[in-house]
Amino acid sequence: MIRFENVTKVYDQKARPALDSISLEIDRGEFAFLVGASGSGKSTFLRLVLKEDRASSGAVYVAGQNVANISSWRVPRLRRGIGVVFQDFRLLPQKTVFANVAFAMQVIGKSRSVIRDTVPEVLKTVGLEGKENRLPHELSGGEQQRVAIARAVVNRPGILLADEPTGNLDPTTSMGIMGVLDKINQNGTTVVMATHDDDIVNEMRKRVVELKNGVVIRDEAKALYTSMIPVVGQSRRLRDASGRDEPPVVPPRAGTRAEARAEIRLAGEGQA
Amino acid sequence: MRLAFVLSEIGSGLRRNLAMVISVILVTFVSLTFVGAAGMLQLQINQMKGYWYDKVQVAIFLCSDGSTAPGCATGPATPEQEDSLRKLLQSPAVAQYVNDFEYESKDDAYKHFKEQFSNSPIVDSVTPDQLPASFRINMKDPEKYEIISETFSSQAGVETVIDQRQLLERLFSAMNAASLVAVSIAGVMIICAILLIATTIRLSAFSRRRETGIMRLVGASKMVIQLPFILEGVIAAVIGAALASGTLWAVAHFFLGEVMSKQYPDTAFISPGQTLILAPALIGLGVVLAGISSLLTLRRYLRV
Repeated sequence: MIRFENVTKVYDQKARPALDSISLEIDRGEFAFLVGASGSGKSTFLRLVLKEDRASSGAVYVAGQNVANISSWRVPRLRRGIGVVFQDFRLLPQKTVFANVAFAMQVIGKSRSVIRDTVPEVLKTVGLEGKENRLPHELSGGEQQRVAIARAVVNRPGILLADEPTGNLDPTTSMGIMGVLDKINQNGTTVVMATHDDDIVNEMRKRVVELKNGVVIRDEAKALYTSMIPVVGQSRRLRDASGRDEPPVVPPRAGTRAEARAEIRLAGEGQA
Repeated sequence: MRLAFVLSEIGSGLRRNLAMVISVILVTFVSLTFVGAAGMLQLQINQMKGYWYDKVQVAIFLCSDGSTAPGCATGPATPEQEDSLRKLLQSPAVAQYVNDFEYESKDDAYKHFKEQFSNSPIVDSVTPDQLPASFRINMKDPEKYEIISETFSSQAGVETVIDQRQLLERLFSAMNAASLVAVSIAGVMIICAILLIATTIRLSAFSRRRETGIMRLVGASKMVIQLPFILEGVIAAVIGAALASGTLWAVAHFFLGEVMSKQYPDTAFISPGQTLILAPALIGLGVVLAGISSLLTLRRYLRV
């Protein structure tokens, strides 16, 4: 469904590439986590899939099509096949839950009757029955993210990209969101989720693709998060481990969670 | 559905940016009024030129009923007198200065008069008999007017010889200068209008960046995303252009029609209706202005 062939993305000629000759394939219906520290290239990966950016070299295939060959006026069609969810929800504050989801259908010209039928159905899928007429600020963070997911999947995209969808949510709520994403995945949608949340990754036991400095250093099925929290001296060990193709040995430690949170905050500031 | 959506987006955009939209309307209104004023001056010049101005330089008016000139003591010019004048015009002494000449009978004169003064009440009180017949001469060299004047003024049946151009040229050059000034002011104002429309669209795009960001993500087409912004500018510019057209019509109706034409009854003024032919041009210009500025802006601030 998504295939990267030796993809390199350079933002700044003087700095190291954001993605460095990455080759990766994510199959139809798969659920993959994209993990790695801030700046490891997760967001660049997602941007390339959406054709928000152009790869410096290599080819990106989405649904069998090389995105470099999609002309700019056909890019909207590509994006209709991809749903996107963000850490900060990105709902329209003055629109109700129903209107927020319906907006995604209105702007691509769906008829009113189709919207009336589809939106409640999707809201039911994400567990928001009966909250159609609430405004975003009247909802909890988890509920807002559910609205955002509903909006992302209402046009039945083949791919759902989630960029740290649980980054602003507490662990319990996060698990609820993961339940929703899992349900969407079971319905046949390919899900790619960039995350820092080790608990979730460990709980879900799905495919894990780990990026570091723009390089895939691990790609495992039914994997664990395997703590990528940067510790002094650990980064070199990891690189050595990947170079020798050996799984890195990381002792379980207390306090990982807190450190991961600190890093997410930093990442959030970087994006703002 | 999509049309309704675009319309509601336009509505909300106009509401959110009301102050800016009003300023766009006013700036396009003022700039297009200046453009229109220049156009009106040109229309007025054409009106005053009448039927003969571009074709001939010198007119020899023949005696008619009311003529008081000394050469007209014998009453209106007779056909014989007309023939002798014609012969004189064709004689080698005169013909060397003349490209071409035409005879305008009283009926022709009346017809042309009616055309030129169609907007003036004077047209109802004039009959063909009151208007002189004339020879209209196209000179090889307009500067040689004196020769024609000396030769014909003393002829029997000639009331007067007039160099029409000299009479009107001064006035026209003043009017042309005035329209040049109007066009220059309009030019500056148009630059203002383009920049202001660009700023308005930029603000509008900024205030709706959430919506447009989501629209991009869910795959809305470029047209659906950008059209509301373009149309906002176009609507404001068209309202400005309509106000400008209305102002020009009002000037023609109240100032020229009611004041000036009473003070100068022997001058042909343009009618209010004639200013309306400027309206489509002004509205078109407004649309082009808005289009140019939105193209420039959207390319930078609202990429899809």
